[in-house]
Parts: sequence; structure tokens; C-alpha cells
Amino acid sequence: MNISAHDLKTLEVTEVAQTLIQLRIWHEVQLPGGLPGWVLNDVFRKNVRVCMLEGGVSQGLRACTTPDPNQRSVEALDTYSLERWECVLHYMVGSSQQEGIAMDAVRLLLHSGLMKTDGDDPQPVITRQGFQFLLMETGAQVWYLLLQYLDTCHYHGLSQVECLTFLLQLGFSKLGCDYVTDGMSEQQLTFLQHLREFGLVYQRKRSSGRFYPTRLALDLSAGSRRRLAIQSQGFLVVETNYRVYTYGASDLQVALVGLFCEMVYRLPNLSVAILTRDSVRQALRSGITADQIIAFLRMHAHAEMKKQDPLLPGTVVDQIKLWEIERNRFTFAEGVLYNQFLAQADFEMLRNYARDMGCLTWESPEKRVMVVTKEGHDDVKRYWRRYGRGNN
Amino acid sequence: MSSISDFRGKRKTYEPPSNDNSEDGFDPEQDGVPDAAKHDAEKEVSTTEDEFGAKDYRSQMILKPDHASRPLWVAPDGHIFLESFSPVYRHAHDFLIAISEPVCRPEHIHEYKLTAYSLYAAVSVGLQTDDIIEYLKRLSKTSIPDGIIEFIRLCTVSYGKAKLVLKHNRYFIESQHPEVIQKLLKDPVISDCRLRQTAETDTDALITEKQQKADKMQFGSKPETAPAAGGETVPAEKEAPAAVPDDITNFYGRLDDDDDEEAAETQTVSFEVQQDRIEVIQKRCIELEYPLLAEYDFRNDSVNPDINIDLKPVAVLRPYQEKSLRKMFGNGRARSGVIVLPCGAGKSLVGVTACCTVRKRALVLCNSGVSVEQWKAQFKMWSTADDSMICRFTSDAKDKPMGCSILITTFNMITHTQKRSWEADQTMQWLKEQEWGIMVLDEVHTIPAKMFRRVLTIVQAHCKLGLTATLVREDDKIADLNFLIGPKLYEANWLELQKNGYIARVQCAEVWCPMAPEFYREYLACRSTKRLLLYAMNPNKFRATQFLIRYHEKRSDKIIVFSDNVFALKHYAIKMNKPYIYGPTSQSERIQILQNFKFNPKVNTIFVSKVADTSFDLPEANVLIQISSHGGSRRQEAQRLGRILRAKKGAIAEEYNAFFYTLVSQDTVEMSFSRKRQRFLVNQGYSYKVITRLAGMDEDRDLLYSGKEEQGQLLQQVLAASDLDADEERVPGEGGRPGTSGGFQRRAGNMGSMSGADDALYMEYRRNIKHPLFKKFRIK
Repeated sequence: MNISAHDLKTLEVTEVAQTLIQLRIWHEVQLPGGLPGWVLNDVFRKNVRVCMLEGGVSQGLRACTTPDPNQRSVEALDTYSLERWECVLHYMVGSSQQEGIAMDAVRLLLHSGLMKTDGDDPQPVITRQGFQFLLMETGAQVWYLLLQYLDTCHYHGLSQVECLTFLLQLGFSKLGCDYVTDGMSEQQLTFLQHLREFGLVYQRKRSSGRFYPTRLALDLSAGSRRRLAIQSQGFLVVETNYRVYTYGASDLQVALVGLFCEMVYRLPNLSVAILTRDSVRQALRSGITADQIIAFLRMHAHAEMKKQDPLLPGTVVDQIKLWEIERNRFTFAEGVLYNQFLAQADFEMLRNYARDMGCLTWESPEKRVMVVTKEGHDDVKRYWRRYGRGNN
Repeated sequence: MSSISDFRGKRKTYEPPSNDNSEDGFDPEQDGVPDAAKHDAEKEVSTTEDEFGAKDYRSQMILKPDHASRPLWVAPDGHIFLESFSPVYRHAHDFLIAISEPVCRPEHIHEYKLTAYSLYAAVSVGLQTDDIIEYLKRLSKTSIPDGIIEFIRLCTVSYGKAKLVLKHNRYFIESQHPEVIQKLLKDPVISDCRLRQTAETDTDALITEKQQKADKMQFGSKPETAPAAGGETVPAEKEAPAAVPDDITNFYGRLDDDDDEEAAETQTVSFEVQQDRIEVIQKRCIELEYPLLAEYDFRNDSVNPDINIDLKPVAVLRPYQEKSLRKMFGNGRARSGVIVLPCGAGKSLVGVTACCTVRKRALVLCNSGVSVEQWKAQFKMWSTADDSMICRFTSDAKDKPMGCSILITTFNMITHTQKRSWEADQTMQWLKEQEWGIMVLDEVHTIPAKMFRRVLTIVQAHCKLGLTATLVREDDKIADLNFLIGPKLYEANWLELQKNGYIARVQCAEVWCPMAPEFYREYLACRSTKRLLLYAMNPNKFRATQFLIRYHEKRSDKIIVFSDNVFALKHYAIKMNKPYIYGPTSQSERIQILQNFKFNPKVNTIFVSKVADTSFDLPEANVLIQISSHGGSRRQEAQRLGRILRAKKGAIAEEYNAFFYTLVSQDTVEMSFSRKRQRFLVNQGYSYKVITRLAGMDEDRDLLYSGKEEQGQLLQQVLAASDLDADEERVPGEGGRPGTSGGFQRRAGNMGSMSGADDALYMEYRRNIKHPLFKKFRIK
């Protein structure tokens, strides 16, 4: 099918309209004469008008007018934000590096169910959801955690509205620019400190009076399709012989791979691991799904891997799925157990009846035991009352 | 799991005796392995483990600043990881093949392992200790761990320094290092073996000579397009000048030159030794840590007559074939050693070319009568040899051996210990008296070391060339070959040959056949021997086989079905009305079936037992179905794949042009066997697709055994079968079950539509009665 430039334009228009409708900014209405049309949301219209006429108090963030003596480059911000975020993930994986995470963040992880404390051990441990969380894309992780945060923000005496407003304002900020903290409410300042904890904003010092939003924050409102490339370079090479090679020396990446692989070698800049049945089953047991593993491998595939199609060796993908399937080989059928027949004849009579009725699930004549489906139970019971007792 | 061949020092670790079926009790500890070879880099390194239980070497290796442009890591335990996408890949690859054993070579990152044997091989093809270390240093992304440098020194310093050279029919011990010669001569045993011309002359003077630059070998009619390997690299370097660090390219050029034209002029020192004490000297030198490399200066051999044989102009060597031969004839002499090429990649041509290069009397040993015929055909196809020059020495063929130039025979014929016919005895006598220029050993991995030693005592050959596809043995006795034949000279990369179209692109698939419930119940209940029969005869497997055969016959493919279990083989074949070949099938009948398979468009499928595992050359076949196999043998798997590897013509367009199916009964022990069997091929870069359901099979109403009743009958048959049926077929040379050898078992069988054989067959396990030749003389 050919799409002409014109069609493309139309497509784009409908897409934009759809988005606006989803955001409740536009409403679909029927125009007189039957044509479809759209109406702008009243509240939105009013506020836009106020904004455009510069009425009311400015809602946006204010950029700093004076240059920062400690100016941060975009690269520095990126490294910083990734570092902070990985610090949180690291804490979850529980690798040796445990410093640099505040109690607030830990509390949030506990609250969100990504980690839990087990009985007498004060150290929190990771949960099923935690494992799944680790294998998500960074953008999805940020959203997940923020939603959890908004859930709990009243513990810190913050209102959801206040936080959301600030988040949305952040979304309109520019990467690499600094903004003043003056004029922000006390609540917003607290929130800012929490965001700083996760690397969503950068602030050199609390008292510096300015902050930089990072890519993590900007991505929040960027939508799934236009997400800025925050991902570090792909670092995984997956081979047909189930080897998984991890480039780079990041402990976190190795720890993540270690969730479902057996690590064999740690060399400078390279780690060697093998996907084995045992290691994958271990991961499956802790709640990670085959699809998540595969998505993770695909997401972080090394540049060399991206040259081939399909990206991952088909056999490896199949095998991981097969390992998952092989865990679910039982099919469960509800039923009622009949046992303690006094005579073989009784057993056979009832079994024959159940079999004829087509509701016999299983029988063992040696032990005089049989299982009848739940639906057939009443019927068989009635039959037994009528005839089984009668023989005795 | 991580390495195919661990050569472990037997003194340091106790290994429980392996329960392999080859009964040879050859132990490298007692015989012919130098001490240095017992070192294992893996054992001699202190390993710290990280929190995941991995070997953590980060502290022992320092990453170089320009690591991105270098291709490999060397771990302190001798494992090497090589990026195949690096611009320097080819430089590194040739080098690593020379100094280490490939562990696995899939698409992106290859793993190699430094072993004492691989380093020995490196030295024997002319690499020097310092060069190895230096080049490894330059290729590595990190610093080389000290332990590895020490290991390389330890393993190479005394190896390859002394050579046993046969010139003008006299044996010399030769070395480029006078100090080595001096040291050897100080040893009383060796000095005793020294041959002194005349007592009164100055006996201590050593023969010193200058070796002129050896002219480059030419193998047959060489295409102009393939100059020395050094030449090929030039354009590549121009393409990516920046990516390759200078020091690597410079050094590569140097090494390459060394390799090809070995030292323009070298000074060697030598002394002559007594011919009848060669064995003693060799043994003593190994004890002294100076194992002798055997070289044959065939050009200066005036005593043995030249044979008039050349390659035909049509015989064009592929680049890898030439490379492998270059390793063998690198310095103008013939080295002994093993060349590893995948099945179907043209091993025979390498063998034929080697014979044509040496041009002395040649002996070819293979492992079955059929392959003797095939070798003869190969000689006639590629070389100028005719019938009068080639002699087959088998139980069936009655060629006149005396005075022939090429003798082709089987290992069994040579090592046969029972009484022979008078003619055979005469031939053997003659064979023993000859001095053979070259001995080619086909499928060298299949022979037990014991049998091999017997061959060596019978045959006097100046140079031994082993050919094989898989240098793996389940019993890890491969190491023995290193000192019995010689080091591995060359090993090809399967995936690369496949990419270049030299071998077929094979789709490997493992088809899971659910066990029929009744069969599974019996399987769980019964003893182990019967189990094999139950999972081989699983009706779902039968149906899958039938379905696959139909599917591929419709595509006009040629199909081979393998079954190790004879009962299953016959049942499947007879039910489907296809011809079959197994142990007792006579030679003429085998050839008849094979001819039909090749040329008769109506015969597209044959069933074979394990007799067809090796050297049955069936270039037409492109589909292979395996219904039962020999436990977890990696070698058998690779050999079987080899039956369909020969490059297919005119099918370049398709993604795959050959298919390899393994049918396994689900939830039985076959599943784990299958996983083990695949290990070798998976490490060569093959991948197995798991098929859990054959699309369309359930709809096909014509398949046999679809009803419960039929399946029940089949189960009765299986249960009624005797234990003997449940056993795998025994092929001579693999060691029969003791006690059963005398027993006859009478079987009835229908040989299928076109075989025309008797309907009564006798099956027994001892080879000697089977040969009509021997039978005849036994009656006398």
C-alpha cells in the first residue's frame, strides 16, 4: 500500500486529534449537518486565554537570569542522573555497593512493594515485583516509581496536586538550563529534594538557589515515542550457544544479567555468562517471566547484535520460553475423591456408573480410589445412596 | 561445560575411570607424554570469585587505553575470548588457531583455550616462544597475566627444539640450538644410540649445515587468485587503516612470513642416530622434556622410489585446504600431524594432495570397506593415479598388492590378530617390509589408541597425516593422538566454511514427540534396556518420522534415516516399505542400495544403522532424520551431520539447503542425551530449533499408528521383543559385549522393494566370521 504525502498529513492530523481527545482537551461533537467536529475544553480554553494575556501568577518555572558559576553540561547531567538512578537499582539488586541511598528512597521502595523486610532481618530484600521492575526500561521504571511516590506523598505532608503540578512544569523545562528555586513553596522544595535523590533534578547544593532538570525528568512527559536516548549503549551479546557476554564494567548491568544467567568470568570490560536451564528456572521462580528476560536481552543488545535479523538467536528465545512452559505442565481439574470402598464390587459398580456418565477423572482399582468431576459429583452421590447402600 | 578438552594432569587430580566402551587401558601417564604437557593453566592460577560465583580476574588484568581496537582478552586460566567483529579478527584468528584449541566459535565472540598440547602444536609449525608471547601481548585488550606468560614459556621452551629428521634414509636428530643437542648428547641413553661412522674419526664433531631457503610449496595446479596468505591481507589493511593498531599489522606480517617461508637461512646442528633404536630415543627425549618432532625430508629421499602421481589440473584446492597443507609442508618437509576439517569439506582431497606432494609410496587407512572404495574413487578423480597403481586390501577386494604405489585398507585389516588367509598373510608381510612415505589415517578419532599403536608397530611410515572432522572423544583420549601421530596442524571454522558456501547450510531441529501414555507407563515401570526400545518405538515418533519423510519426498529431497537400534530400524523401514542397511547387510547389497539411492528417482529414502555414521559418502542426501542414537555421543552427532554437509549445488538462494532432524521422545532420558550430543555442534555455531509440534501432522489421516488399537499392538510387539533387540547395534572395533560373541540369532526380514536379498539374515557380533574370506579359511 502506498501512502502519499497527503495521506501522511491526514494521518498526522488524526493522530494529533486522537491525542487531544484522550487528554480531554478536545471533545468530539456532531456539527449541525452531520459532520464530525471538535470543541475545546472550557476550563482549558479559559486558562489558555489567561496565560496568553499574561494574567494571573506565572505557573511555569523561572529560568535563572544570572549565569551559574558552576555551569553543568548536558553530558554531565546525563551521567549524574544515570548514576543516581543506578544507585537505586543497585540497592535493590543488593550488590556490594550499598551506600548513597537515603532512608526516604528505601521507604518508597518498601512501600511500593518492590522490596520487603523479612522478619528479623532489618535489611530489605527484593520481591517478585522488584525483579520485574529491574528488567523494565528506564523510562517505565521512573514512571512506576513516581506513581508510587505520589501515592505516598501525604506521608511527607505533600499534596498530590502540588507534586503533579511541579512534575508537569518540569516537563516543559529545557535540558541544560538552570531554574531558580526562589518563589517555590515549601512543599515543592521538599519534593525537589526527593526528585534530586533519584536523579531527576540536579542541584549542586541545597542552598545554591538553582537546579537543573535532567533527562529522566524530561522523559516523563515526552511520551513513549519521542523518548530521548537516555539508554546507555547496548552492552549484551547473546550467542547461539547460550553464552551471554556483557560489555562494560558496570556492576549493575552484571548484577542484572546475573539474575537469570550463570556468571562464569569477570574480565576487565567483559563478563561471560551462560544461560542455563537452572539459572533461568531460578529467575522464573523469583517471579521474572520469560518475556521479561527476552525483552531485557533485546533492549540492551550490543551494536553488533543489532546488525543481524532477528536480533536475538531464535533458538535461545524459543528455549527460554520452553523453559517457562515446562514449569506449567500440570493441568488442574477439580474433583471429588471417593475412597474406602468396602468391597471391590462396590467400587466397580460406582466406577462403571461414573465412567458411563463421563465424569470419571481417575481411578485406581488396586486401592479402590476414584476421582469424579465436580459436576458429576451430585449425580454419582445420588446413585451411590440409592444402590450402593442397598447392596449392603 | 566450558571446555571440550581439558587436559588434566593425572598426577594432580584423581579422575574416576571413565566407563567408556573402548576397552583400551592406555594411560598417558605411563607412556609417551612429557611432563610439561601435564600442566594445565586452569589449575595453576589463584582464582577469586565474585559475588555471583564467577571467576573474577579483574584485578589481575589491566585494561589498555586503546582496548577498543584490540580484539581479545586472555584470562589467567588460559581461556581466550576473541571478538569476531573486530577489524583485526583475521589477524588474530589465524594466530589463535595455531596456538590454542577452539572451545566455541559461534557468531560474535569466540572462545579458545591455551593448552600444553596446543602450544606444542604451535611450536611444531614453527612459532617461537617469544613471538607467541609478543603477539599475544599486542592483540590483547589487557595486560597478559604473568601466569600465562610463564605457562607459555614452560610449555614451549623445550618443545620443538629438537627434530627427528629422516634424510637420505638416515635418521638424524637435528636442532637449531646447539645447546639442546649438547644436552641430549650428554644423556647416556641417547649418546649410546648415536651412530658413529667409524670409530677412529672425530666422533664428537657435529654436523653443521646451513639450510637454504626452502622454496614455497605448490599444491597441484594452483589458481593465480590465491597467493600466500600474506598477500591477501594487504587490501584489507587498506580498507581500514585507522582501525588496526600498527604494531599488530607489523607483527602479523612478520609472523605470516615466518609461517610460510620459515627462516630464509638457518643454521642447524645434527647428529645421526641408529635407526633400530628410534623408539628408545623418542621415549628418552620425552622423558628429558625434549619431545622429538618427526619430519620427513622427502625431496632428498633417494632410497625410496618416487611414484608417478600428480594432481590433475581439475583439482583446485580451496583456500582452507591449501592453508592446512601449508601447515603440513611449511618448511619443505613433511610434518606429521592431524588436520581437522568438517565432514564434506573435502578431507579426501587434502589427503590425495598430501600423497601427491610427497610422491612416495602411500598407505591410506580408513575404517570401513565402503570408504576404501570411496578413497580409491577419490584418488582416481583428483590424481593421475590409475587402477594399476592403487591397490585395495580388504576382505572383499583381491587386488594384487605387490609393487603398487598406493595401498588403501582398513584399520581392522592391519590390526587383525587372528589367523589370516595365506594371501592376506603375504600382503601383510609385504606391507611390513615396506618403507612408506606417507600414511594417511582417515577418521582418526574413531580408532582406539591401542589399535593405533599396533598399526604404528606394523607400518613403517615416514610421515603420518591424520584426518578427522571432530577431534572429540567422549573418553577424552584425544590427547593420545598428539604424541602418537603429531600435533593438530589445522582446524577449520565450520561457520566460516558455511558462510562461504563450501559446506551446506544446515537447519538443525530437535523434534519433540510426546510419549504415548501407554508407552510412557511401561517406560516408567521397566528396566533400562527395554526403555531404549520404548522411546525409540514411541508411536508419535513413528508418525513424526513418516510425516517428515512424506513432506521432504514431496520436495524431492533425498532422505537418510538413522537408527542405532536395529529393532526400530527394521520395524520403521518395513512398515514404510523403504530399503535399509545395517551391520549384517552384505557389501554388494549395500552398494546396490546406495547406487539406487543415488540414481533411482523412486528411491528417495533409506534407513541406515550406525554403520553409516562415518565415511558413507552420499552427496545427494540433504535431509537427515535421527530416530535413535548412541547415548550422548557428541562425535556421532557431528559425524551424522557430516553426511549431509557436502555443499549442495544450485541452492544458494534458499536460506537452508539441508535439514537435520533429531526426534526425541519427550520426558525420557533421550532429552538429556540429546542436549549433550548437541554440545559440540552448538559450540561450532550451529543452533538447534526446537519443534514441539509439526504443523499439519494432526490433520494427516494417512499416518500409521494413529489409533489407540494400532498403538496397543505396537506396544505388545515391543514388550515381546527380547533384550537383544533392545540393544544397540554393535559395530566391530567399538568393543563387543563379552560373552555374546559366539551366539547366533536368526532373524527374518524383508529387504524392501528393490534390495532383492534373502529373507533370512544372520546376525552376530564378531567380525572375523563375517568376512567370507576368513570364513573360507577357517573351514580348512
